[in-house]
Amino acid sequence: MLLNRKSLALKGTMLIATSMLFVACGSETPKEESTEVVAVDSTVVEEEVETTSYSLPSPLQIASIFKKSGLKYKDGITSSQKDAAKYTTNLAKALNLGVYSADLSYTVLNKQNQEAMNCMKLCRQLADNLGMGSVFDQGNLSARFEKNLGNEDSLAYIIAELQMVTDMYLDENNQQQITSIVFAGAWVESLYIGSKVYEKSKGKDLNSKLSEQMTILGSIISALKAEEKKDANITGLIADMESIKAIYDSLDSVKKYNEAANEDADVTLSDEEVTKLTTKIEEVRTKIING
Amino acid sequence: MKKIYYIGIVAIAALVGFTTIQTQDNCDKKAITTACKKKMEPFKYDSQKFTKINFTKKAQQLEVEVPVFIGEKYRIVFNTSGLPKPVSINIYTKDKEAKKREAIFTNKEVKAGETILVFDAPRARKMYIDYDVPADSTASPTQKLSGCVAFMVGYK
Repeated sequence: MLLNRKSLALKGTMLIATSMLFVACGSETPKEESTEVVAVDSTVVEEEVETTSYSLPSPLQIASIFKKSGLKYKDGITSSQKDAAKYTTNLAKALNLGVYSADLSYTVLNKQNQEAMNCMKLCRQLADNLGMGSVFDQGNLSARFEKNLGNEDSLAYIIAELQMVTDMYLDENNQQQITSIVFAGAWVESLYIGSKVYEKSKGKDLNSKLSEQMTILGSIISALKAEEKKDANITGLIADMESIKAIYDSLDSVKKYNEAANEDADVTLSDEEVTKLTTKIEEVRTKIING
Repeated sequence: MKKIYYIGIVAIAALVGFTTIQTQDNCDKKAITTACKKKMEPFKYDSQKFTKINFTKKAQQLEVEVPVFIGEKYRIVFNTSGLPKPVSINIYTKDKEAKKREAIFTNKEVKAGETILVFDAPRARKMYIDYDVPADSTASPTQKLSGCVAFMVGYK
């Protein structure tokens, strides 16, 4: 009798526990309706919702815009730091992942196969060090990249796909701050490459594209500030980005443009102004590359 | 003593089950991304943004700033399949603090049940995507509806 009672109690317990787990696991199956009722602990104070957030572009798009404006390949201007292990903090790793991503886009769009391959390896190494190397294995991205070397369109498509799986990975792991930091590194590197090529070519289109890039700097700074609560280490990076903006805003051509308040017009910087801006960008870029 | 032991097991099982229910998310990001990507062709993927939405007793306005470049062609694909009830979506070229602004896109005319929305953007420097989340009178301190909305940006 005692055994029966015990057995009954045990069965009952197992049944309830199984039912609970079944209900819980059942939520993973697709539903026709996406209604989710979230139970809220009434003792918990409701989380303050950020009402403004940011969606930054990809390094590939920036490289593509520069390419269309006549940016040619110049040897030796991509990051000289070829040892990703040198970067030990997460901030340095994420920033330089951005730098290598920009270099990767630049070399791919300019058909520099060997250098593109090296950049891809450095990106992978830093992604591994950040604990997100698995994104490179999704859909055989690494292998497909190697297989398609020399085919610019296919490589650009693979990089875009890599960006997509990376974005999703960071979002699912609630690491959106890394997205903003990586993009900040990529943006500085892209501007550095653009301004270095401009020094020689003096192309008018490239000049206006350099200025146009400055219009998104405000969004980058705001995106970083929104993530500052999660990662206080980015305070210094925000200050560096703000120092670039301060230089740009102080330029006469920019002041005139702002006074005219014509959003459709392009800003053309004088060579002297480009040099002033380039010096600042180079200073911030050196800091990033030195880790 | 044994009774306490069994009660303990039941309590733990209930807790595990409840916690899982509490944190479940109907926002299937992979499926949402795949559906957006299908509508993106021939544009190239640029970025994607998921916004978590909690329906509360108060109406909310959530804004996403999207910097774009003049002269480039953009497509934005929205996926609202992760929402338990409709949310108004509008795109502006000025932010919500601007005194005067006109929507360049709205989902007001979209048929009920349509969850994928495609928008090919005109020339702009910035776009502001606003989600106007209606108040939910049924929301209580212990229960509220929740879901997600996403958009993908592509360029040519």
